[in-house]
Amino acid sequence: MKDNRLDPAPKKAGRPIWPKVPAGFVRSVLAGHSALGLAFAALIYLVCFSGSVAVFAREFQRWEQPNATPIAAVTPAALQTAMEQAIARSSTTVEHVRILPPTPDLPRLTVSTDADGVEHTYAADAAGRLGDEGEAVWTEFMVLLHTALHLPRAWGGFVVGLTGVALLSSLISGVLAHPRVFKDAFHLRWGGAKRLQEADLHNRAGVWALPFHVIVSLTGALLGLSTLIVGILALAMFQGDTSKAYALFVPVIPDDPRPAVAPPNLAAAIETAQRLAPDARPTFISIEHPAEQGQTVVVNVAKPNRVMAGSNLYFDGQGRLLNISRTAEPNLGQKILASLGPLHFGWFGGIVVKIAYGLLGLALTAVTASGVAIWLARRRDKGRPAPRWERIWIGAVWSQPLAFAASALIVLGLSSTAASTPLLVWGLVTGTTLGLSVWVEPARLSRILRLVSAVALGLVVLTHLVRHGAHYEDSAAWAMNGALAAIAALLAWTVLRPAIRRTSQAATAEQTRAT
Amino acid sequence: MSPETITVLASIPLIAGGVGGARLLRRAWGDRTARRPLWIIGGWAVLAALVFASAFWLGPARGPFIAVTLISVCVLLVVSWGMERRTARGRAERSLAPEPSNRGAKAWRGWLRALLAGPIGMIAAMGTAIAFVAFCPGAAETRLVLGGLLAPLLWGAAMAWTLADDKILRATAVLVGVSLATFAAAMLKGF
Repeated sequence: MKDNRLDPAPKKAGRPIWPKVPAGFVRSVLAGHSALGLAFAALIYLVCFSGSVAVFAREFQRWEQPNATPIAAVTPAALQTAMEQAIARSSTTVEHVRILPPTPDLPRLTVSTDADGVEHTYAADAAGRLGDEGEAVWTEFMVLLHTALHLPRAWGGFVVGLTGVALLSSLISGVLAHPRVFKDAFHLRWGGAKRLQEADLHNRAGVWALPFHVIVSLTGALLGLSTLIVGILALAMFQGDTSKAYALFVPVIPDDPRPAVAPPNLAAAIETAQRLAPDARPTFISIEHPAEQGQTVVVNVAKPNRVMAGSNLYFDGQGRLLNISRTAEPNLGQKILASLGPLHFGWFGGIVVKIAYGLLGLALTAVTASGVAIWLARRRDKGRPAPRWERIWIGAVWSQPLAFAASALIVLGLSSTAASTPLLVWGLVTGTTLGLSVWVEPARLSRILRLVSAVALGLVVLTHLVRHGAHYEDSAAWAMNGALAAIAALLAWTVLRPAIRRTSQAATAEQTRAT
Repeated sequence: MSPETITVLASIPLIAGGVGGARLLRRAWGDRTARRPLWIIGGWAVLAALVFASAFWLGPARGPFIAVTLISVCVLLVVSWGMERRTARGRAERSLAPEPSNRGAKAWRGWLRALLAGPIGMIAAMGTAIAFVAFCPGAAETRLVLGGLLAPLLWGAAMAWTLADDKILRATAVLVGVSLATFAAAMLKGF
């Protein structure tokens, strides 16, 4: 016999902890959320998708140039050699030299020069000897698509920044328009009513990853709109002089255009930087006007266990520390400013955080895609379907994995590629897919595009293996090929698994009828 | 041990704890009994402890950012593990989801709303951010950066509000008033 004293009847839960939001308010906010989401859907989708890929920019650079031997560290003398050789290779006066010393996620020494507005980039070995000129063309294309949509820098940055503001606004209105945030906290109903399925995906991915969504949209908006914000700020506070606003963060370097006797003593500058910050490592070096007496060396040094990119130390041509350097601990504003980039791209916690950023970035991309899908499903449920928009949206969503894969495939397939080639291929594939999508039923279109994307990604891996003879100096190329092959397999699985299941169910039904 | 190795090693308890905390919260969500508050408190306590501990392991600012990022992924994994498969029906199911309000389709209201969400909202947000920079105490760099962060945040909030508010003239008056007041105050005060 059951003892009720040992097993008391479960009590009912108390009142809900979340206050009831008035229905009228929710309906109004939803109307604004829908209008804004629809107006910016394509842009937000493109920026989020390209951003999810751009998180792995350094890994893609290593994958694109797999024959460069990884370098763990370089000596100050090697940096001096690399700088001098890069200056010697230029036929005209070099205005700037930028050096990227090896870091754990990009273990190579890269030097670029800027002369008469033309930039040249070289890889150097551990001794600082320069190799052939070469850029990671596809990586450059992909990063520029995310940061400026390949528009002129000022306009592109503004459009991307505005997209960040629209995303931020959608997050605010999305939270306000979600009265069942706790009631549905873990619901993910898949395969039933289209609207419910998309709403569950939209709300779960939107709410549980909210801190990430807010961080990337806020930092992205500020990075994109920085020119505009500084311009308006300077107009109001510094009588329109933007240089006064920038001077608060970047010290003004005294100019001396007389010809220099020798290139700057970079080795001495690096040794001083290492002495001043023994636990930090140089992550970026810039040499300003190396051919002039006003030559200056800027060394960015980053300490471990920090989010921020690092602090700048300034040296003269002899490698002596200039008094404009801030050797003290940066203040809060300087720390936040130096943290914006790492926080936006997920470059502050190694590969684990990068993978998490990639996944959460794709979750934000899915939130955008499902937002439009909810609107389209709602119209269909109300008897006002928009079949053409349903097709175009599916085409827009699934065109991007294909367009990215196709552009990479062309870059890998051609022996030498102009910087504009991947952009042309990306534009052509996106445009063609959108054009063709008008004639194909949405579910079928989605299946076709996912399958073609999987094939294209598989071909990217194969072409990479064939082009480099499966002989990689940098093991990151194997890891990236493995990841791309896994994504291709996953895409193919999403198409083929339901088809196999349908065939199997039909065969079982046929067998049952026969017996 | 390098900082990169420490981060990878620290991510193991962070991921395990994140999944554990999320599972406790999921249990609370599915539990309608009096024990529910215990699961809720337990779940959030685990997640909060992870964020707190990560500050010691991985740096006071870096640790919590890493923890929050990984916890988000863990909770989404728990959500996807509990996915409920359904069979599609031919007809549309009745939805309990709230519907957006149906506004009148007057063109001038649409244009005004777009202006409020766009340039006017931006000016009001910039004005407020600049007034913050002018009046807030502290280091110049900190005031400027916080003001810079406020600008897109306030613009986004203004966008959300003006697109939601049915009383569009009220939104116009508030945004124009805020723009005039904040810019004038900031310019009078100076930097």
